[in-house]
Amino acid sequence: MIETTDRFPVNRASSIPTVTAASMAEVDGLAVNEFGIDILQMMEQAGSHLAELVRAELGGDLRGRRVVVAVGPGNNGGGGLAAARHLANRGASVRVILARPVNRLSDAGRHQLATLLQMSVDCCVAIYDVPDDELDREFASADAVIDAILGYRAAGAPHDGVLWLVDRVARASVPVISLDLPSGIDADTGEAPGAAVTATATLTLALPKPGLFRGAGRERAGRVYLGDIGLPAALYGRLGLDPGVPFAEGPILRLAAEG
Amino acid sequence: MTLAQRRSFSEKLGLLHELELFSGLSDADIAAIGHATTMTHCHPGQVILSPDDPPDRIHILKKGKVRVFRVTPDGKQLTLDIYEKGTILGDMRLLGQDRSPAAYAETIDAAVICTITPDELRRLVERHPIIGVNIITFLSRRLQEAERELEAMAYQRVGQRLARKLIDLGQRFGVETVRGTLIQARLTQQELAEMIGTTRETLAHTLGDFRRRDLLDTEHHHVVIRDAERLAEVAQDGDEG
Repeated sequence: MIETTDRFPVNRASSIPTVTAASMAEVDGLAVNEFGIDILQMMEQAGSHLAELVRAELGGDLRGRRVVVAVGPGNNGGGGLAAARHLANRGASVRVILARPVNRLSDAGRHQLATLLQMSVDCCVAIYDVPDDELDREFASADAVIDAILGYRAAGAPHDGVLWLVDRVARASVPVISLDLPSGIDADTGEAPGAAVTATATLTLALPKPGLFRGAGRERAGRVYLGDIGLPAALYGRLGLDPGVPFAEGPILRLAAEG
Repeated sequence: MTLAQRRSFSEKLGLLHELELFSGLSDADIAAIGHATTMTHCHPGQVILSPDDPPDRIHILKKGKVRVFRVTPDGKQLTLDIYEKGTILGDMRLLGQDRSPAAYAETIDAAVICTITPDELRRLVERHPIIGVNIITFLSRRLQEAERELEAMAYQRVGQRLARKLIDLGQRFGVETVRGTLIQARLTQQELAEMIGTTRETLAHTLGDFRRRDLLDTEHHHVVIRDAERLAEVAQDGDEG
């Protein structure tokens, strides 16, 4: 701990090891296959923490605030959908925009979406369901935008509905909170091979990705926070990683850059 | 049949010929099917299926794209999928598959659909069993594509993890020999499997695959890295996501 500027504890970024996309894939694989921590469990925590970060960004009260949640087809999008549920439960008015049709979502993502539909949360697919100008107005009138379009596994430049949504979020003039890393930024190099989001704040999960502190990623990630998704030290140990006990003071941690 | 009718009928036969569903049939058979089916040219935005339709039509998308969507209780559309040519649409219970509940389908662009009633289709299958075989192939391919994708993902990760682990072990315990880098650490398959978080069976399968590709060799619980460069490529191959 070096200082506390808001209600989240602050740590030096260098005090916690970074993890490449390939190693993070191993972490996820071990969690599911060996430790029995399934994707929905991790997604639930990611979504809840993300909603908390949005609450903090909006001054502490979500009631009546309008949040647009931009959702990609993978599990990063699933985390965004879980956040949408928590935001709605905590009083926000939520609009979910999917980058691709429902059947193209991951299984866990479809599971989250089904709950949102039961809750009558407004969900639509970009390009196909709603005229562009209506969604442009939605972005313009939002109090905050969640970027849950692409996660650490994404490779190459965004295209199709994903590109459409990344472009819209990139142009948003309200606070943008990215999940795991700004969409379009390479998790390892921090470079942007195509369109990319510039975030006000980024909630990275489990362990920070090197791309948040390098190249374009350093500028585009905004304030970087680390969120606990419940992975045990024994799991990291299997991969030779030793993050210590980063979440002793709370499940969301601000990572302060050096200098 | 007028000249115009004949021309449109021959266009229809041309389109039917191109459909995978009717592959393996003679020209005469295709002509017979031509009489049993209706070919419709749709304009963009035309609804071709709705939940209210009686389950008495099967559509085969010949050209163009179709959007399948549901309508939420507050009247808003939500796109479930986009289908391209060759897709069979309609009451899939007739073909042994569940239909998406309460789904609509509308064309996105100028599409051509070929429509047939279940009774006609049944009669066609009786007369031309190859059509039945083609339908089964179509449906099982949909299923297999989904399964293969999952399998490939799971397998790719194990291969990647194994390659990475072996490179790491090679750097720590490797000695150069004429056959490649010998990892001087006695490792059982069980131990190696545990190191990369997989089962012994999957590891054995992956090792076998690496051996076939001459990436490595194994003998008496020792691994020899035969091609470090290609192994590094396997380790580098990113997951898509």
